Order: sequence, then C-alpha cells, then structure tokens
Amino acid sequence: MAQKKSGDNINNKLQLVMKSGKYTLGYKTVLRTLRNSKAKLVILANNCPPLRKSEIEYYAMLAKITVHHYHGNNVDLGTACGKYFRVCCLSIIDPGDSDIINATPAGQ
Amino acid sequence: EHAKMVKFLKTGKAVILLQGRFAGRKAVIVRVFEEGTRDRPYGHCLVAGLAKYPKKVIRKDSAKKTAKKSRVKCFLKLVNFTHIMPTRYTLDVDFKDVASGGPDALATRDKKVASCKAAKARLEERFKTGKNRWFFTKLRF
Repeated sequence: MAQKKSGDNINNKLQLVMKSGKYTLGYKTVLRTLRNSKAKLVILANNCPPLRKSEIEYYAMLAKITVHHYHGNNVDLGTACGKYFRVCCLSIIDPGDSDIINATPAGQ
Repeated sequence: EHAKMVKFLKTGKAVILLQGRFAGRKAVIVRVFEEGTRDRPYGHCLVAGLAKYPKKVIRKDSAKKTAKKSRVKCFLKLVNFTHIMPTRYTLDVDFKDVASGGPDALATRDKKVASCKAAKARLEERFKTGKNRWFFTKLRF
C-alpha cells in the first residue's frame, strides 16, 4: 500500500514539473545537463539498458546529483510526463512549483 | 536548499576519450572551454593524453631498460565533452606551459610540437614517481 502511494506521488510531482518547471527528456540532453551541472534530479525508467543506466549513474555520482529509478518502463515514464512517446531518462533542471527534489532522495 | 551542483569537468580530471584516433586512451583535462569558442561553438576542452602508454617496468630491468620502458608518447587535443568519459580520478600535474598557450597552443605546428614535448616531460616525470598508477595503465577493452 505504501509502495502504491509513493508511485502515485511521483507521477503527480512529475506532472507538476512538466507544467511549471524546466526539464529535458532523452539520453543526450540528460548527459548534457549532468555535464554542466544544470540537472537537479535525473529519473531513469526501469527498462533503461544497463550500460546506459550505469553511465548516467556514474555521471550523477561525479556531479552529486540524485538519480531516481522510476517504477515503470519507458512507456510509463513517457505517459507520466504527459507525452505520447517513450522516455527512458529525463532530467529536471528547475522543479517549478513541485517539491520533487526534496521528496525523492528518501524514495530513490 | 542544497547547492548540489558540482562541476566535475575541470582541469586535472582524468578522462577517457571515446571517439577518434585516440579512442580508449586516458587523458587529463588541461583547459576547459565551457562556452566554446567562435571556431567551436560547443563545450570542449584541451586534453593531454597518452598516445603510447609506458611499458611495464620490472625489478630486474637495467637502468637503461627502465628509462626506455618509461617513455611516453603524448598527444594534445581539443575534444568535445560528448566524446569524453569522465572518471573519478584526477591527475594534478602542472601543465602551466601547455595551458598558457591556450587555444593557440595547437594553432601552428611547431607550437603544438613544443607543447606536446612539455606535456610529455611532465607526464613522464609523474610516471617515474609511481603515483597515479591507474592513469598510466592501459585500459583493456
């Protein structure tokens, strides 16, 4: 039950970020925001290829940015972002009104 | 509010080149051009790397053999950040005379050769001290 609630929470927070914040979708831009330290949070889908997942986690480790492993695949993550395409990884630059940054380090 | 943003592509960072002739080689960032320059309107950096790694030196090598095996071939290159894999290692070698040239250290051929020689000398002396062993071992892939 607690699991389900936090799943919903992330979706709601993501929705708020999409509406009011700045974000980028996709592997190339995620790496770019990690490199110039603009990213505040990185979210990976669960079917992200393991090499890509490791690479993003390593970059985030160097930049001290949290990575959130989303409980859903890239199709679900795309839907959660309100998009009609698949999203394997996304990076939140500015959370806007959402408190997703403060909420997730506990969740992971 | 935690200012969690750590820039990690700084001078002294050990990186691995991913593309080009020197793909798979380890290099150090000498100078970073965050915003790019007019010729290269993207984030890039000047790296000094090992074109030829020093060979394995064993205890029973004579002094002459050790000297020969410790030789290093260096390269200097301006690389796009996307063609670089940063690592958690750093190599704090003083590359002042290489970096002071800046973008025009690679402009003319003889400037490039001179900078390369300076970098080679620095890297060789660092290898001889036995520090930064990871940097001087070839990446097997």
